[in-house]
Amino acid sequence: MAKNIYIGEISKNKEIQEDCFLMKVKVAASFETPLPGQFVMIRIAGLNDPFLSRPISIYSFSRRNNFCLIELLYRVVGKGTQIMAGLIEGSQVEINGPLGNGFEIDSVGKNVVFIAGGIGIAPMSLLIENLSRRFPSSLMTLYFGAQRETAVVGLDKPQKLCHDVNVCTDDGSLGEKNLVTQAFQKDMKKFLPANTSIYACGPRGMLLSLAKILNKGTFNCQVSLEERMACGTGACMGCAVAVKDKKNTLAYQRVCADGPVFNLRDIIWE
Amino acid sequence: MKSKTSPQIAVHLGRLKLKNPVMTASGTFGYGEEYADYVDLNRLGAVVVKGLSLKPRLGNPPPRIMETTGGMLNAVGLQNIGVDAFIEEKLPFLRKYDVAVIANIYGETYDEYKKVAKKLSAAKGVHALELNISCPNVKKGGVSFGSDPKVAARVTQAVKEEASLPVIVKLTPNVTDIAVIAQAVEKAGADAISLINTLTGMAVDLKTRKPYLRNITGGLSGPAIKPVALRMVWEVVKKVSVPVIGIGGIMTAEDALEFLILGAKAVQIGTANFINPHATMEVIEGIKDYLTANKIKDVNEIIGTFQP
Ligand SMILES: Cc1cc2nc3c(=O)[nH]c(=O)nc-3n(C[C@H](O)[C@H](O)[C@H](O)COP(=O)(O)OP(=O)(O)OC[C@H]3O[C@@H](n4cnc5c(N)ncnc54)[C@H](O)[C@@H]3O)c2cc1C
Ligand SMILES: Cc1cc2nc3c(=O)[nH]c(=O)nc-3n(C[C@H](O)[C@H](O)[C@H](O)COP(=O)(O)O)c2cc1C
Ligand code: FES
Repeated sequence: MAKNIYIGEISKNKEIQEDCFLMKVKVAASFETPLPGQFVMIRIAGLNDPFLSRPISIYSFSRRNNFCLIELLYRVVGKGTQIMAGLIEGSQVEINGPLGNGFEIDSVGKNVVFIAGGIGIAPMSLLIENLSRRFPSSLMTLYFGAQRETAVVGLDKPQKLCHDVNVCTDDGSLGEKNLVTQAFQKDMKKFLPANTSIYACGPRGMLLSLAKILNKGTFNCQVSLEERMACGTGACMGCAVAVKDKKNTLAYQRVCADGPVFNLRDIIWE
Repeated sequence: MKSKTSPQIAVHLGRLKLKNPVMTASGTFGYGEEYADYVDLNRLGAVVVKGLSLKPRLGNPPPRIMETTGGMLNAVGLQNIGVDAFIEEKLPFLRKYDVAVIANIYGETYDEYKKVAKKLSAAKGVHALELNISCPNVKKGGVSFGSDPKVAARVTQAVKEEASLPVIVKLTPNVTDIAVIAQAVEKAGADAISLINTLTGMAVDLKTRKPYLRNITGGLSGPAIKPVALRMVWEVVKKVSVPVIGIGGIMTAEDALEFLILGAKAVQIGTANFINPHATMEVIEGIKDYLTANKIKDVNEIIGTFQP
């Protein structure tokens, strides 16, 4: 099944937390089953303002009798997401996808650690679903951070599927008053690099702290990055991220087509 | 279905024969393969690939793009794999298709342009060269080649000496009088002229008071630039006799037809691909529908029929 543009019909679009929406979109059955970490480019059918499509991770996916249901979890941060939030049931959206390379999930260690900040939980949730199904004997731990209680979303599935869920908020309104990366760092000695797989998604600052924490060790950590996108398909070179290539020199890779998942160690932070 | 009554839409740009007047614009369609899942490349008039330089180019640091009203700014900085890797790794894929391949080329010196042109002329499966003398996002060469008529003529001539392939020269709109440049490259031997490349622009982040693009300035593309592109195509077609290819903000068949009526023999579609990967196919079908509805048998009959 080739990648394509699908006309999606919104079957639900609801604010589930402050400024945070869950959108369910029905697309044709030919939609390729997405891998955790893959995303779609979404735009409102027939609308040219905002001009570009917006990249949103696939939060959940299921096949029904003659259609597929894609779930997107998104935070309203600007014009595009604001307009998305206003869409009612039955509205049409154009969905291009699934796009990008998902997380590497062929094998995981005995310990699997997920670190998510804010809306970064969206791809993590699908990943947790997938890994807990396929590797039931691995021990899954989630570290989740948000600004405050009202920004905590997407924990329904992780709370069912992970063995341990650690919630942090910046203001202590829910869970521990801490940064998610520090909460992880405190526990780090519990995990051995040789049998631990780490997956992370969140704001740049969070990933940078994580990079510093993991810098000395030999942990394997895959992260999902965000960058502004135009095409989402690898054609425009707009979504560049600085990485170390095989020869250990600086290269710009495309978040959409070479990522969005990268090895944390390869990222060059400027 | 569309058997005998279907209008004739092939066009000739001198030696370069195209199935239809719709090509992809350089830098917006990768090396073709990025969109091969979405579009039957065989149906395109031509695929114009991302600008190629002699050596691979790193490109500019991010952020490289920013959305604007009716378009976008980009400062990619001609990141590309270099002409040798293109010939080895990308061209074999394109050769599998029955489509004209146009290599967009870029150099920092006359000599670099010549070397790239020579390599591509010797490669199997390239049908024409398009000289980018107009990229606003690179420090050396680029736009400076395109803004001085003497320099533009000299680079055209230099490439013509090396290239056995038809040479299209792509012009920048960031000049005072584009027709002067067009005439200069025509005189220097250009087989065709394409225009416009992006218009230099900026965007400021109010929160940080910094530019949205790391490069500060970038090239504006998309529907916002179409009126400017039309005006410039009009200025150029009046002054040159080589075929002209219209580029800038084309989203629909109606947009493309405006350029054809003004006198462009073909068009290129750029930014539209990003938001609608089927844009080229829709434009081709839309042109046919327009011709059919107006009982015009051949697309060439409408080219240059503008009634000022
Ligand atoms: C692969 C990928 C997956 C994503 N998944 C999700 C998701 O599941 N849920 C979700 O809520 N968001 C996700 N995002 C971020 C989302 O794309 C942006 O929040 C959105 O494009 C903002 O659009 P806007 O018009 O509302 O905001 P704009 O008005 O365009 O910008 C508002 C703010 O958002 C930032 N922004 C704009 N575009 C992006 C972008 N592409 N990436 C990061 N920040 C951006 C801007 O810098 C600015 O600070 C993802 C981004 C990528 C690249
Ligand atoms: C992301 C991007 C990259 C581009 N790269 C090139 C390039 O490598 N060479 C070139 O000649 N033009 C390049 N262009 C310019 C386009 O080919 C085209 O001239 C311009 O975008 C106007 O057309 P449009 O409005 O249809 O996009 C690029 C444009 C964009 C948006
Ligand atoms: S968004 Fe175009 S290459 Fe990634």
